[in-house]
Parts: sequence; structure tokens; C-alpha cells
Amino acid sequence: MHVIEQLSNINFYLFGSWPKGDIGGLFLNIIMALLAIGISFIFGALMGYSRLSCRIYVKYPCIAFIEIIRSTPLIMIIFWFYFFLPYLFGGSITIFWSAVISLCVYAAAYQAEIVRAGIIAVPKGQMEAALSTGMHRYHAMGYVILPQAFKMMVPSFVSFFVSLFKDTSVTYIIGVIELTQTGIIVSQRQPDRIYTAYLIMAVGFWLVCFAMSHLARRLEKKIGVFDLESIRPEACRDEFMLLPKKKKIGPGMDKEAYCDFTDTKQ
Amino acid sequence: MKTGVKITLLLLVTTSITSLLLGTFIAVMRISRSRFLRACGTLYVEIFRNIPGLFWLLFFYFLFPELLPPEIGAKLNGYLYYPVVAGILGLTVDNASYVSDILRSGRLAIPHSQREAAISAGLSRMQQYFHVLLPQMYRAALPPLGTRMVHNFKNTSLCMAITAPELTWATQQIESLTFRGIEATALATLFYIALAGVMITLIVTLEKILKIDISSITHSRS
Repeated sequence: MHVIEQLSNINFYLFGSWPKGDIGGLFLNIIMALLAIGISFIFGALMGYSRLSCRIYVKYPCIAFIEIIRSTPLIMIIFWFYFFLPYLFGGSITIFWSAVISLCVYAAAYQAEIVRAGIIAVPKGQMEAALSTGMHRYHAMGYVILPQAFKMMVPSFVSFFVSLFKDTSVTYIIGVIELTQTGIIVSQRQPDRIYTAYLIMAVGFWLVCFAMSHLARRLEKKIGVFDLESIRPEACRDEFMLLPKKKKIGPGMDKEAYCDFTDTKQ
Repeated sequence: MKTGVKITLLLLVTTSITSLLLGTFIAVMRISRSRFLRACGTLYVEIFRNIPGLFWLLFFYFLFPELLPPEIGAKLNGYLYYPVVAGILGLTVDNASYVSDILRSGRLAIPHSQREAAISAGLSRMQQYFHVLLPQMYRAALPPLGTRMVHNFKNTSLCMAITAPELTWATQQIESLTFRGIEATALATLFYIALAGVMITLIVTLEKILKIDISSITHSRS
């Protein structure tokens, strides 16, 4: 009886005040993580690809963006978007969307690194073979390199999703009613429920993350090349750089065609 | 702001050290022969890895004093720097799970012959770990370990949720007192970027210093 009474507001943890009010709780965490990873994938993939470009005006802005975002705490990014974007540019933005946008910006930088590592991990011979069959380098990228690269990226994406899902809990600081916030609200309004509140918070996050990380591990075993922890510029250069450092351009070969695929750190 | 930087650095240094120690301990548990210890280590990692670090901070700040006997709990709640202590505890348990995972995969990179050589040299189990296995584990796991430490540094900013007076919290205080939020936040962001850059540089340098040994390990393996 006691247990049932304690769990009577489980709906609040899962959906917030959904049928009557705004959606919230664990469901909101999932929505935010999905939205963020979906939107940021586009930008992340573009940036990861352009980071490999040989054009300085494409490459360096991307590197700067990625490195700055990667070394700023998520809270700082959230603050920038929540407090100062409206202040700088006027207009207002709801908490939810400012949280999603800041998560997107944060995730885009990491996704760019994943995409870049994935492209670099495809052996150089693939590109050579594609080019030698007479494909344009964009076709070679689209039909030969990227399909293989994405296959290798899938486990990293899943484990990044887990980490992003955990990071959505940070948005509680600006007042998004997600699982952490619901737990805090309940434990402050009804101090006798503090244990249940924390237990439900923990179980909620744990279930989703455990399922996803198991999926990631299974995928890694199936496809497995690298994990998220190893993705960063230094490691990528050393471990995944299967290409020679110097540009070797054979006679009659398009210099531009090779540019994308040789070492970008000149 | 100055105290904020100090507390952030304090958090960074203490949590790095404690989480390395705890993580090593868990990693040794996870690679030990005893099935019970292995299960305990795996349980720890599964629990702490799959729940956000923010939860653990809140847990140690709000719930932990309640779980302890009332007198100790009340004393802890009254303690001025308890938020910092809770922050250290929370960050440590969160980071240690990642560290132990990384170190365990570092153990897998060491060839089995190292262990055998240590046994045949007559080292006891403790000596095997301290003189042969652990140094190599750290070396093999250095790149991801470094990334993790930078991540841990960024996570210290989460401590503002439990009102630990670190840098992010200080910027928020400045914002609410003087309304000069942009300057303060920009400064704090620059500080984070700079220190992360310094950490990455240090780690890369360390990697370069130790690199020769890594290649010799992989060489002996083939």
C-alpha cells in the first residue's frame, strides 16, 4: 500500500504534467536527445567532412568551432544560448528550444569528430580505386567512402547518443521540466518522498542508458572499429591516419581529387 | 571569480586524483581472478556509467546526508564547504567508472607474456600489479584517459547545481549582482577553453614522451 502511494505520481516523472499541461519528465529527455542528435547530425556531418577539406577558409573555421565547443562545458553553452542570445539579438525563445539548440551545438562538434574519424578510417585504397574507375571525387565520396564510413560510425553514434541523453539532464539548470527536475520538484514539495524521487530518477536514466549502451556494445562487436573515447584529433591522426604524410600525386592525376584525402595538417 | 577559479582548480585536481585511484581499484577488481570481485566491479561500472554525473552530484548533496545517521547528516549539512565535498564525491564516482573502463581496455592491450614474465621473475601478485601491469596499463590507456580527464574538468562546472562556489557559479553570482553577465561568462568560457587546451597539450606531450615504449610493446607482441 505504502509503495503504491509513493509511486502514485509516476506519471509526473515519465511525462510531466502532459495531458493537462506541457510535456516533461523522462519523455522530454528522450525527445530532446533525439531532436538534438537528429539536427546536429546534419551540421556535424558537414563539419566533419569540411574539416578534411584542403581549403583553408573551409577547414580552419570548422576546426576552431569544433575545438572551442569541445573544450567548453555544456553548462556554459547552455547559458550562452539561454541568457545571452536573446540579450544580444533581441526577441525571446522558450526554455525548451534554447536547451535543444545548445545541445545541438554541443553535439554537432562531437558528431563532426565522429564523422571525421569514420571517413579517415576507410582505407586509402578505396578512394584510389574509386577514382581510378573514373568517378568524380564527389561520387567516390558518396557511393564508396561514405557508405563504408557510416557503417563504422554507427556504434560511436549510439554511444554518443547515450552520453548526450545523460547530458540532457544538465538542462534542468535553466528550468526544463525533465526527469531530474521532476525528481527535484517532488523531493522539495514532499520531503517524505525524497528516496523514491531519487530512486526513480536513477532507474529512469539507467534503464534507457543501459539498453542503449548494450546496443552499442553489440553493434561494436558486430562492426566494431573504435569507440567514442578514442575519438579526438590527436588519437585520430596517430591511429586512423592510414595515409602517407606526404602528398603523392601521380602523373595525370587530379591534384584536387587527392587533396581531400591526404593529411590535412600541412 | 578568483575564488571560483580556485575552487574549480581544487575540484579538478582532487577529482582527477581520487577518480584515478578509485578507477584503478575498480579496474583491478574487474580484471581479477575472483568471480565475485569481477561481478562487483562490473556492477559498479554499469550503475555509475549509465546514470548522469549530475544525478550523482545531487545525490551526494541532497540525499547522502539523509542516508547517514541523523547526527552526522545534520553536521554535514551545516558544514560550509559541504557542496564542494559533495561535488568531489559525485564527480569522483562518476569519473572513476569511465577511468576503470578505460584502464580495463588498457589491460587488454598488454600482451599476456608480460604477466608470465612477471610470474617467472618471482614477483608476488601485488608486485605484479604495481611494477609490471599498472604502469603499462596507464601508458596504453593514456590517450582516452586524457580525454576523460578533460571531460572531467568540464564536468566540474556541473557543481554549480549544488551551489559549490566554483567558476560557473561565480559567473552566475556576478550576473545576478552586477548584471555584467556577458563579460563574466565570456571570461569564464575563455578560462575553460584555455585550461582545456593546456591539459590537452600536456597530455599530448606526455604521450610523445612515452610513445617509444608503446611501440616496443606492440613490437614484442607480434
